[in-house]
Amino acid sequence: MRQLLAALVVMLGLADSAMADAPKEGVEADASTRQVAITSSFTGTEILVFGAVTNSVQPSPEAGTYDVIVLVEGIPAPVVVRHKSRVGGIWINTQSMRFASVPSYYAIASTRPIDEIADKAVLDAQGIGFDHVRMVRAAQSRTDATDPAELQTFKEALIRLKERERVYVKSDFGVAFIGSSLFRATIALPPNVPVGPLTAHVYLFKGGQMLGEYSNRVMLQREGVERYIHRTAMTQPLLYGIVTVLLAASSGLAAAFAFRKNG
Amino acid sequence: MTLYLPIAEMSVSVIVFLALGMSVGFLSGLFGVGGGFLLMPLLTFLGVPSAVAVATSASHVVASSVSGAITHYRRGNVDIRMGLVMLTGGLTGTYLGVSAVKILRRLGYFDFTVALMYVVFLGVVGTIIFVEGINASRQVRSAGAAGARKSGQHGWMEGLPFKMRFPRSKLYMSAVPPVIIGMFIGCLSAIMGIGGGFVIIPAMIYLLRMPTGLVIGTSLFQIVFVAALATVLHAVENKTVDVVLAFILIVGGVIGAQFGTMVGEKLRGEHLRALLGAVILLVAARMAYELVVPPADLFSLAAVAGAS
Repeated sequence: MRQLLAALVVMLGLADSAMADAPKEGVEADASTRQVAITSSFTGTEILVFGAVTNSVQPSPEAGTYDVIVLVEGIPAPVVVRHKSRVGGIWINTQSMRFASVPSYYAIASTRPIDEIADKAVLDAQGIGFDHVRMVRAAQSRTDATDPAELQTFKEALIRLKERERVYVKSDFGVAFIGSSLFRATIALPPNVPVGPLTAHVYLFKGGQMLGEYSNRVMLQREGVERYIHRTAMTQPLLYGIVTVLLAASSGLAAAFAFRKNG
Repeated sequence: MTLYLPIAEMSVSVIVFLALGMSVGFLSGLFGVGGGFLLMPLLTFLGVPSAVAVATSASHVVASSVSGAITHYRRGNVDIRMGLVMLTGGLTGTYLGVSAVKILRRLGYFDFTVALMYVVFLGVVGTIIFVEGINASRQVRSAGAAGARKSGQHGWMEGLPFKMRFPRSKLYMSAVPPVIIGMFIGCLSAIMGIGGGFVIIPAMIYLLRMPTGLVIGTSLFQIVFVAALATVLHAVENKTVDVVLAFILIVGGVIGAQFGTMVGEKLRGEHLRALLGAVILLVAARMAYELVVPPADLFSLAAVAGAS
């Protein structure tokens, strides 16, 4: 009995030391495409983010040993949130709050709801989730109140509106393990996705602790005619305006001429 | 078939926008108006940002008025001198209007201002045209030339300085009223994305007392230039002109206009005017509805202009 117990202790000890010796788990990931082209036929697309847990001890895909959060973020941009109120029977924007920097696009997919995966403090620190991402309020805002409740109301409205535009997307069970270490998630880019480089982040969690993070750039840019037109409009607006007018005038004249011949 | 619009940054159905251009073109051919006042609200209704809708409508106005202007010019129905005087005001007004759009967008009052201006101007003009059209069709042929015009009589305008001779219109009057009218229309045109024919024509007839035969040609002459400048300035100042969207609408518009003209020739003038008045009032009512009814969401988002 004593021997058995001793053997057990040794075995446990061995197992324990084996655990300690086992290399730490990490995460490796990539996106299916590094380059998304916006052409004249662009109607939105999907990118696949996949990866693997290195040194996984997860026995099966369903075991749920690890939690993975996949985050795809657009470049931060300033935005104004406006609030309408009734003035003399007419609805007019009366209050506004300006945010100096909010993600223009923000898609999040996870193995389960993120607040189950980690604490608020961890999510806040990493900026994971709509409520945790950093949204800095700019100095010049047209609101009388400066209390945090007001800020919260505007922030919630901002998230709600962005969600309605489908540029903020959340998928609570969007990341699926395929094997004991392999996982994947598809992220939808809507047709109105703000053009600019995207960053894909993959976070690996186990028992509320973050084990690893992996980031990658995904280029999202206009191409072909689309790129040419947009660039001309932005960098040579005078030329662009004149060409538009000439195009309009010549179409008008061409139509008048064509129909006069027919009729 | 869908197409991604480079400036509006949205994917749209070409068929829908072609059909929109055709319907607006049909009505503009039918009534002999530019159709900007119909196009702008319909574009916003389909989800095009209002600033893009206004700027792109301006380019549509160029296309729909240029051939008319040239036809009238060939027939000698344009008072170039009067047109140029009005243009000096018109171009200034356009510049002021485009600058106003820039400021209003920054303050978040642009949508509201546009809607209010539509309600006020379309409401007033629509009522006048509608009532006049109804009355005219009631009193069938009561008088051939209702307002016996006496050229050169302007009452209060007599005292204004900078008198000029307009031989084509047989007028001798101060240059101030045409410049001010031109400036006012230019400003309206830039903010509302319209040609402004429905405001400028009554103003030329009743305020300047120009001969009716010259009014349409001269107004078209000045609208072409004002709309062209508005397009260029919107492109430069606000970067809101979408050439792809403009082209789709223009193609639809010019085709629709031909059918509109054919149908219009079969209808009586006063019926047409009553119908036009009704359409204008409908658009005004639609805009008024938007202002008065509680919005679905009190909050709205806007990108900060000049940030990207």
